[in-house]
Amino acid sequence: MEFAAFIVFFLIACTLAAVLLGISSFLGQKRKAIREMDIYESGVNPVGSATRQYDIKFYVTAILFLLFDVEIVFLLPWALAYKESTNTGFMIGGFIFFMVILLVGYIFVINSKALKWED
Amino acid sequence: MLEAAIEILLKTVVILALPLGALPLIIHVERRGAAFMQKRLGPNRVGPFGLLQPLADVAKFMFKEEVHPTHVRPFFYTAAPMIALVVALLPLACIPVAGPIEAFGRTIFPEVFRSDMGIFFAFAVSALGSYGILLAGWASNNKYSMLGALRACAQMVSYELSLSTSLVAMIFLYGTNDIHQMVNAQSGYWFGVIPQWGFFYQPVAAMLFLVGIFAESNRLPFDLAEGESEIVAGYHLEYSSMKFALFFMAEYIHMIALSALFIIMFFGGYGLLPGFDLIAGNSPVLIVLLQVASLVIKVALMIWFFVWVRWTLPRFRYDQLMNLGWERLLPLGIANLIVTVLFVYFRNR
Repeated sequence: MEFAAFIVFFLIACTLAAVLLGISSFLGQKRKAIREMDIYESGVNPVGSATRQYDIKFYVTAILFLLFDVEIVFLLPWALAYKESTNTGFMIGGFIFFMVILLVGYIFVINSKALKWED
Repeated sequence: MLEAAIEILLKTVVILALPLGALPLIIHVERRGAAFMQKRLGPNRVGPFGLLQPLADVAKFMFKEEVHPTHVRPFFYTAAPMIALVVALLPLACIPVAGPIEAFGRTIFPEVFRSDMGIFFAFAVSALGSYGILLAGWASNNKYSMLGALRACAQMVSYELSLSTSLVAMIFLYGTNDIHQMVNAQSGYWFGVIPQWGFFYQPVAAMLFLVGIFAESNRLPFDLAEGESEIVAGYHLEYSSMKFALFFMAEYIHMIALSALFIIMFFGGYGLLPGFDLIAGNSPVLIVLLQVASLVIKVALMIWFFVWVRWTLPRFRYDQLMNLGWERLLPLGIANLIVTVLFVYFRNR
């Protein structure tokens, strides 16, 4: 039932976006200007494809983000379970162990200069 | 059944109308604020104090030619602005604008999507915002757009880490992920005047979160997704008329949603502002109205803060931005989390 509310909200939001796009393509003026359809690139003709090469750093950043984000996702249920647990010492021990592993990984990442952006 | 359907529709319309209705006003405040800080006039011709200027802009966006370049990937080119706007609107579904209302013999929750995982859900869908940007950059098939989208995306994911560590610290401290319980936990007062807001328990987490909001919504000083001298307008370079407007709206709505989440975690959410409880008395209607007013006032102050920072701080260089995110804020967030956990553990022993 609660999820139905979300579906309704989602559908109405989608409709809103589609209607807004529809309005302008319906009302907007239409011309057939050939130059207008070109790639915008400082007034010169573009050389090569747009998606040919980019810095590997973006890729590394994405992978590292995944690693660290997964670790944070693991911490969220832990943070919720802590209040209800009876053996808090064990919970803290597990947390410290987890954080040490995280820290080792983090130090390795920093030392291998995976995140250094200046050349 | 019919009653429930009406309730859902009513809530949806109100929750969507609030930020979308406030949008022209926010854009106006941003422009007039900029003018105010630079000692110039700003838009003041259309309507009283130029208040109708944003509406005139909307009309202009509608009647502009929609350029659909030939070199783009058509499906994703059209889908990207829609994804950006819809994804920006989704977190609003689980942000309550007031406390639970006892009416018609049952409890009505003033958020569209009532869930005990509300805050996780809001963060999960707000993180989807990078998809709209990345798709826009890739589908535009333009070097500037591609670079802008990559930059924006790398920046958003990097700052999401420090933002999430502060989220973990707050959830640990409150021991709940239910938004209403979080707000209740902040409802007390010290010495009868100072509200017990999360900010006073966790100032470091609050700062991390605040910086995270700026980076997530691509606002200055973190607006590296655009840059006139390097990549022109970034990922929305090839977009025109209403398609561009959708990105613009998405950015502001993202800002509103993240500000509301910030306020829920650190500034008492819809909890009454100090002094409002004296006005409210015991009237339940007045309390609900004042709760809505408190949330709106807090969000409005946050928006003003965004404008203020925009004209105060210069922007970063890209390597500085990434270094700040990964080598300063992330360790700071983790350290803050460890200190919080150990403090709570040794205090309760």
